[in-house]
This record gives sequence, structure tokens and C-alpha cells, in this order.
Amino acid sequence: MDPADVRLRNATYAQFVELGRAPAAAEMAAETGLTEAEVRSGWHRLHDAHALVLDAEGEIRMANPFAARPTSFQVEAAGRSWFANCAWDALGIGAALHVDSHFRTECPDCHEPLDIDVRAGLPDRTDLVFHVLVPAVEWWKDIGFT
Amino acid sequence: MLLFRSEAHVDTWLAGRPPGATIPITKLAKLAQAWWSDRLAPDWQPRTLAQNQAILDGLGLLGPFWRLA
Repeated sequence: MDPADVRLRNATYAQFVELGRAPAAAEMAAETGLTEAEVRSGWHRLHDAHALVLDAEGEIRMANPFAARPTSFQVEAAGRSWFANCAWDALGIGAALHVDSHFRTECPDCHEPLDIDVRAGLPDRTDLVFHVLVPAVEWWKDIGFT
Repeated sequence: MLLFRSEAHVDTWLAGRPPGATIPITKLAKLAQAWWSDRLAPDWQPRTLAQNQAILDGLGLLGPFWRLA
């Protein structure tokens, strides 16, 4: 990965946390001194390198573990509400921020709400299980489905 | 990549589809710590595939299902 793209990636993640949402390309241009076109081309290279995920319009869809849009994994951490892309990411937001967290989702089978407190990286619910349907080698074939 | 109340709920949800892999949330929490804790580091650098595989291997996530390539 090109060092300039790594810098853009790191600045994009920092802005995501600063704003509490995905930054727009214009915001990243103002933040980095790049042009909006340079931001967008850099984002596309980062998308191809699986360093973030863009939607069909070229806007940020995922800066894993953060989701740019509402999902069924709502996380409370560092005084803010976030959305995560999956259960792995829901635990990952507290890990990335290095804070305790809480998240809510529901059992996909029975739809019972599941509330999990995570303290020092450990969930208070130890009875739950995580299921991955897609083998690891295929995770990035359709990251949205994964 | 979903969270279920139990393995029985996974089985019901699959409704006959071939299962993937199921692990306890306690192991998922360790995986999340290992995988994501560097993501906001100001000097973050991308991990290699071998480094990512080593994280999975180190947690006992072995076998063809957990091979990244």
C-alpha cells in the first residue's frame, strides 16, 4: 500500500472517530490538503486493498469495525453511539477505541434482544455463540453479505 | 457474522443450509481484541495476510474454513 494512501486511510479513520460518522470526501480534502478527486481516487485504492469499503456511489460504507450506516449492531462506546458491521466488529469498536463498550443486537433466529457489556475486552454474556456462514477465503468476495 | 443465543438457535436459523463455523463469544472477544486494537493507531500499517492468518491460528481457528487464502 502506498504510504500516501496509508496516510489518507489513517486520516479518514481519525475523522470518522472525531465526527462520529463517516467523513465526506470534501471533508477529507479539507482535512488533508488533497483535492476531493485525490481523496476519492485514494479511497478507491484503499477499497481495492480492503482497507475500507465504499458503496456504489463511492462514499464510505465501512471503515471496519465502524459501519457508516445503521445496522443491527448498535454500539455505545466513548460517549457515542456507533453502528458495527457484524458481531465481530461490534466487539471491535471498543477494542479499536480502547474503551469499555456496550452493544445491542438480536438473535437472528428468535429475535430476542441481546445486550452485551464489554469490560476490559471481556463480554458479560458468555453463553452466546458467534456463527460465520462464509469461509475465510471468501470473506471479501461480498463483504456486505459476509 | 451473527450472534446467537445458543448453538441450537444457529441450527434452527440455518434451516438445513450447510453450517459455517460457530465459536463462543468469549473467543470472538479475544479475536476482536487481536484484530481491531491497532485500527486507530496514528501509525497504523496494513497487516500482511500471513500476520492475519497468525492471529486466527493463534486463537485455535484452524482448518480449511479459517484459511484466508
